[in-house]
Amino acid sequence: MFLTVIGALNEGFVQTLKLFLITLVGAIPLGLVVSFGSMSRFSLLRGVTRTFVWIIRGTPLLLQLYIVFYIPGMVMKGGSPWPGGETGRFIASAVTFVVNYSCYFSEIYRGGIQGVPVGQQEAGLVLGMTKRQVFFKITLLQMVKRIVPPMSNEIITLVKDTSIARIISLQEVIWAGAAFMKGSHGYSGLMWPLFFTGAYFLLFNGGLTLLFGWVEKKLDYFR
Amino acid sequence: MKKSKFLALLLALAMTFTLTACGNKDSAGDTSAPPAETSGDVTDSSDTGDGQQAEDSDLAYVKDKGTLIVGITEFEPMDYQDASGNWIGFDADLAKAFAESLGVNAEFQVIDWDSKVMELNGKTIDVVWNGMTLTDEVKSSMECSNPYFNNAQVIIVPADKAAEITDAESAKDLAFAVEIGSAGKQQADANSFNYTEVADQATALLEVSSGTADAAIIDYLMAAAMTGEGTSYENLTFTASLNSEEYGVGFRKGSDLATALNEFFASAYADGTMQNIADTYNIGDMLVKQ
Repeated sequence: MFLTVIGALNEGFVQTLKLFLITLVGAIPLGLVVSFGSMSRFSLLRGVTRTFVWIIRGTPLLLQLYIVFYIPGMVMKGGSPWPGGETGRFIASAVTFVVNYSCYFSEIYRGGIQGVPVGQQEAGLVLGMTKRQVFFKITLLQMVKRIVPPMSNEIITLVKDTSIARIISLQEVIWAGAAFMKGSHGYSGLMWPLFFTGAYFLLFNGGLTLLFGWVEKKLDYFR
Repeated sequence: MKKSKFLALLLALAMTFTLTACGNKDSAGDTSAPPAETSGDVTDSSDTGDGQQAEDSDLAYVKDKGTLIVGITEFEPMDYQDASGNWIGFDADLAKAFAESLGVNAEFQVIDWDSKVMELNGKTIDVVWNGMTLTDEVKSSMECSNPYFNNAQVIIVPADKAAEITDAESAKDLAFAVEIGSAGKQQADANSFNYTEVADQATALLEVSSGTADAAIIDYLMAAAMTGEGTSYENLTFTASLNSEEYGVGFRKGSDLATALNEFFASAYADGTMQNIADTYNIGDMLVKQ
């Protein structure tokens, strides 16, 4: 019984990890694009981006998942655009998570970029660097160091937020655990698998915490 | 160099616009859906020429894509997986037989039970077929088949209390846990019990087991499968039946698949197929005559 349950939980945790990694890979660069938008000199672009960030950050992720997954099929003729089965649910979750987290990341980036003293950029310009060089070699470099603690916070939250995708029946680890209460893989009425999923999150987040501590140390060569 | 940065910003702008545009269209869709539905009804009522109205027919839609996506939750003995991961059970086998009669493949999709109507309307599933009690709420939100199976709502209590709780009257003072929107909740309302709504029937059991609720109201079938020896709920048992009720199958509102299923039920009952499947899972005596 233990092995069956662990097998099912592992299968669920693979989905959790996939969603986590794809969200990071998508949201880290997209967040930078969004943060440029929200810092733009053009008031229209700035306004639109900030409104968008407000909408995404201001509404529950749970609601966004519902909207992204179910509304298209209700509106479009010829059925839902999402592929059938687990794949469609996964893609819909990934899209929602990437957009959602890029908005949060963008604000962290904005804080990091704007927190770099103007004097640094002026010094770069005085040394004859182009604006592009100043951004990539001075601002971005120092931003990366500054944003590590808030990013680690957000990324650890992301690990746990992946469980929200179960609302559109993405069968991640909590789903797999809870399924044993009702009946799964021939066992029903088991409570402990659900609580046991906590160990997966703890272990994984423990690893992440160590990783971020290491990254922070590595970036400690300048203040 | 400045230009390329410009371009990047423009792209970002375009991206945000398309995303917000989608958002707007989505919310507009809610209001535009009803007219589309009525136009479908109009063509349905002029039902004589079947070739023309094919695109509004749910039956034609399913036949066209070649799969019937069956929305289920893992629920023994109605829908559950055998050792090699195939979906079996009374409902699963019946759904496979129905799909075969339509000439399509049955595909099983595990769903969140709360989202079943949204899953149907979003066309991410085609039918809800999972030991669903035909309540007024279910009938008003889905196109339902004829009842095909009998069920009851029973009271779950710790085994040591079972002797005291023999009927609804003796359970009056207990604090209940019921699944949100379930037939059990309706019974709690009807008996004016004191209750808390929880996410699903399994959670309701968990509440009783952990002592956060005195009792729960769940399906007879589920109670039989989940309490007693060999489960985590060995200390729980079920006592009084509060009602008797019937299971049905739900389709999208206005779908012609319901009629097709009723015809299938009639023929499958007549030739004994349904009885055979029910007997396989030892629930043959609960079948409803078609």
